[in-house]
Amino acid sequence: MVIDDSIRQQFPILDQQVHGHPMVYLDSAATAQKPLAVIDAVRDFYLKDNAGVHRGAHELAARSTMAFEHARSRVAALVGAEGQEGGEEIVVTAGATAALNLLATAFGNASLGRGGKAAQRFALKPGDEVVVSKAEHHSVLLPFQELCYRTGAVLKSFDLDPDGRVLADTADQVITERTKVVAVTHVSNVTGAITDIKPIVRRAHQVGALVVLDVCQSVPHLPIDLHAMDVDFAAWSAHKMYGPTGVGFLYGRRELLEALPPASFGGSMVELAYLDRPASYMDPPARFEAGTQPVAQMIGAGVAADWLMDLGMENVAEHEKAIAIGLLRVGELDGVRILGPTTPEDRIGTVAFDVQGVHPHDVGQYVDSRGIAIRVGHHCAQPVHRHFGLMASNRASTGVYNTVADTDALLDAVSGVRRFFRVA
Amino acid sequence: MADFGMDDEDLEQMYQEVILDAARDPHGRVGDQADGGEDSDGDGVTIRVEHEACLAAESHQFNPTCGDQATIHVEVAPGEQGGPDLIQRIVWQGSGCSISQASLSIMVDLVQGQTVDHAMDLAADFRKLMESRGAGIEDEKAQDALGDAMVFQGVSKYPMRIKCALLGWEGMKASVAQALSAGRVGDKAVKEEQA
Ligand SMILES: Cc1ncc(COP(=O)(O)O)c(C=O)c1O
Repeated sequence: MVIDDSIRQQFPILDQQVHGHPMVYLDSAATAQKPLAVIDAVRDFYLKDNAGVHRGAHELAARSTMAFEHARSRVAALVGAEGQEGGEEIVVTAGATAALNLLATAFGNASLGRGGKAAQRFALKPGDEVVVSKAEHHSVLLPFQELCYRTGAVLKSFDLDPDGRVLADTADQVITERTKVVAVTHVSNVTGAITDIKPIVRRAHQVGALVVLDVCQSVPHLPIDLHAMDVDFAAWSAHKMYGPTGVGFLYGRRELLEALPPASFGGSMVELAYLDRPASYMDPPARFEAGTQPVAQMIGAGVAADWLMDLGMENVAEHEKAIAIGLLRVGELDGVRILGPTTPEDRIGTVAFDVQGVHPHDVGQYVDSRGIAIRVGHHCAQPVHRHFGLMASNRASTGVYNTVADTDALLDAVSGVRRFFRVA
Repeated sequence: MADFGMDDEDLEQMYQEVILDAARDPHGRVGDQADGGEDSDGDGVTIRVEHEACLAAESHQFNPTCGDQATIHVEVAPGEQGGPDLIQRIVWQGSGCSISQASLSIMVDLVQGQTVDHAMDLAADFRKLMESRGAGIEDEKAQDALGDAMVFQGVSKYPMRIKCALLGWEGMKASVAQALSAGRVGDKAVKEEQA
């Protein structure tokens, strides 16, 4: 299926004027807009089926539970994970950040001896190493940095090449016999560069380390098969893949999820609870899903996954590549530098750029006055900005609904920025 | 729906000549190298002190949403025998958007050499202006006193940018307060002077 402009009809939000101009939305890396199919699914759920899941026995509770679990299987299908009951590899969380914190906390609990012998494979001790990259989002960097502070492990990092791409071919040096965890981004939310994870996974597994992949920016844009990629854990959010906010996922190889101790405690994750003895916890994924779940959001996420699979992720990737080529032309403007690869190979349509002499806040204000939404700031990734010698940047990013006209509008606006601010 | 953005006319309103000019060559900004940048003696002051008899202090201000940052350095001459405390010197290091840079520049022009009380009054009036949601302030005396700083009225319409305009003023208030309180309890510099 070829994706063309008609897809925009499924996104009513795009059809509006902003400051007297047709709105151009180029901030899908922050959050994607939602197709009617997702909006309708959430509304329908509240209109007809709303109830908590895995609790109670009435009709609505049963329907909600079925729908929730069906959604889980659709999300699993999107990323090539196991979705069959009893073998589930997808844990529902509040988002990618929550998923990564869950994982780091669970590793920390294992380091304290919780989870018994099976969990010792996750335990860290002083002198062990955790490896991240300089391109990490703070949501990867900080949970694992804190884990290091709690356990005495040492945090190390992959360097980046001049384009900001993770230097994956240094894996044999960076990952050592002492490395226990490697947590890296699949696609940077700043540079848009796709990390070559093969050498990283190979080396990590050679030394017995676990690989945690941040797939926030790859799942919405590229075909992903987590089994084929052979990663151990992965995290992402529904809201960047056209689903609702408030829900995200932790993928774990089944065997690992079964050994992982819980990180969050409460209702619906426990089999037997006592006042005077430790509780026994449920099997995954329930073990990691304490408390009332974001049911409507999850159902929306399942529909988003189906919607993407119907489009075909190959088609999504191809469409967005054409838009990326349009966006990359911004680097040809006077005084504009792209932070990331300047050609469309091995990258997605997330394009960060610096306008020499004009602060991103001012660039953002200027293009907003022309109805164009881009992100300005450090995009929750300060170390990668330091790599480029900057504090902040401007970032335009694509979604399935963007058109070449959108990229033309951005180029036109950015070309006026330096003159307006008297630096050209 | 409230409209927090701007059309072309609003854009010109926000970025008035005075702001664009001030942002390009802001007053009071000192280079990173010439004036240190390392707190060599651990007293919290990184920019070289020029007036040894003054109470020096610095405040580091940071706007985490956009990364604007400034270290505002003041040297306050303590008023003798009940006389007013004077802001003898105010300079800053940092970087940020044109709104923050221009506001720092205009703030420096307004408070340099003034009494601390006057500077604090200006800061309070400027805050009122920035909280006015584009309406401005009625007090004509305050308008006159704020002078060039009144051009930020256009900025006060935009919730996302108010912090940028206030950054320098907040730093001035914090560093002056710190200089004075350190002096009052007998700070290191003062004691050494007197010894
Ligand atoms: C690469 C990357 N990792 C992690 C996150 C965190 O996702 P969330 O804020 O939805 O938890 C984001 C998005 O903000 C991201 O782009």
